[in-house]
Amino acid sequence: MKGKRVDKRLIEEALQKFLENEQHLVLGFETAENRVKHRLFKKNLQDYSLFNPYFSVNGAIYLRRLFSKGTKIILMLRPCEIRAYGELTKLSQIERESIIGVSIDCFGAVSLKNDVQNIPTEIDALKGYFDGTDSMRWPCTVCRERRGVVGDAGIRVDTKGSLLVFPYTERGEEFLSLFDDGYEANGAEMLIKTKDKVESFQSDMETFSKDISKCIMCMNCRDMCPVCYCIDCVFNGNDYLPKGDALLNKVFRSGSTMLPQGRELFHFIRIYHVSQTCVGCGACEEACPQGVPLTKYFKGISERLQDMFSYMAGRSFDESIPYLTFIEEELKDAED
Amino acid sequence: MTEEKKDKMPEIVGFACSFCSFKASEMAGSLRMKYPEGVKLIQVPCSSRVDPAFVIKAIFEGADGVFVAGCHPGDCHFIKGNYYTRRKIAALKEMFNAFSIKNKIRLFWVSASEARRFVDKVSKMYEEIKEAKL
Repeated sequence: MKGKRVDKRLIEEALQKFLENEQHLVLGFETAENRVKHRLFKKNLQDYSLFNPYFSVNGAIYLRRLFSKGTKIILMLRPCEIRAYGELTKLSQIERESIIGVSIDCFGAVSLKNDVQNIPTEIDALKGYFDGTDSMRWPCTVCRERRGVVGDAGIRVDTKGSLLVFPYTERGEEFLSLFDDGYEANGAEMLIKTKDKVESFQSDMETFSKDISKCIMCMNCRDMCPVCYCIDCVFNGNDYLPKGDALLNKVFRSGSTMLPQGRELFHFIRIYHVSQTCVGCGACEEACPQGVPLTKYFKGISERLQDMFSYMAGRSFDESIPYLTFIEEELKDAED
Repeated sequence: MTEEKKDKMPEIVGFACSFCSFKASEMAGSLRMKYPEGVKLIQVPCSSRVDPAFVIKAIFEGADGVFVAGCHPGDCHFIKGNYYTRRKIAALKEMFNAFSIKNKIRLFWVSASEARRFVDKVSKMYEEIKEAKL
């Protein structure tokens, strides 16, 4: 595949050129208050940062129900965010028409829960930052796809520390046309490599109950999950988690109950519902005020279930989500 | 039945497709075939109507086992509904397997004329769950 060799300044110039049009926007990262945050840039690109070594939320959540016509947006996000964006386009939550998704190689991130500041955002300092420390958040250490190989285009870092842009679709070519000519063949070795496959997740109900015993059912995990997109969730209302009178009725009907009731039910149903679309970003765990190790379960189960159908959430924008399609001759042993 | 004995009897919730499996259960009734009392059937228009959330809810609200029964693949009244069911329930089984509670869930294909098969499958499931419970 042919790409273009760029550097940070060239990328900023290209994005600045793109932003000259009134109708164009860039969703990316900015350096602010010793941290790096998401920002939707309009007109000028101030304090732009290419890399984001902090994880607070998954940026795809801001794109849900985005059907704008006429506004062009370039996403300059991490691979996990671009993958979540891809899943949302498959679920028709985002109109892909005018969006260019560019994934950027990710070196891992720290959790905002450990109050770390002033992590370098330049490649030279960042690439060795996590070596030999355990400050990287757990979901990032087990991430299966940290390479910028998803979306319309990708920005990769080679072993020498220079940046390359590769187009993956026609829209990616459009993004590359922002840079001056100078295609070169991709011979360089990349810094971020694929991860080896880990063995499939296995747990039991006792461990699970113990792990989620701290859950207070605030549902932050549901609200911050980029792919948990239903407007009318089954847990709104009294059907699954009765409150007030409905709760008393339930107790009179079926006996005493532990409170908050339905923790296992809630997490089980959520694990199942996002099982094929979960990208393993760990936004749920980041949002949890009680520090419940949710990613372990969500990521473990979703990888296991996605492997059943040789699917990986967000890997390709053309693959259909397994529950929305079928093959006639398959799963012969499904019946008991 | 005494209270004590009743406690040991498993309760099974079954989601049965109204065109095949539920018809089979009705036929079993008219042929005077017996299947365990603990089996409670819920009629659904098609087996793909069963959101796995229903199954999970049934289990966490006290059912000892849940089965989903539909037409044989290819025979769906709505042409392809049970192909989706097959994927969804197979994935749910895999998930239960990861939590080591695979015993609680079953998927059956029963057509409207297979009353005997329906009774056999349900009774076998009931016995297995009863044994695991004791």
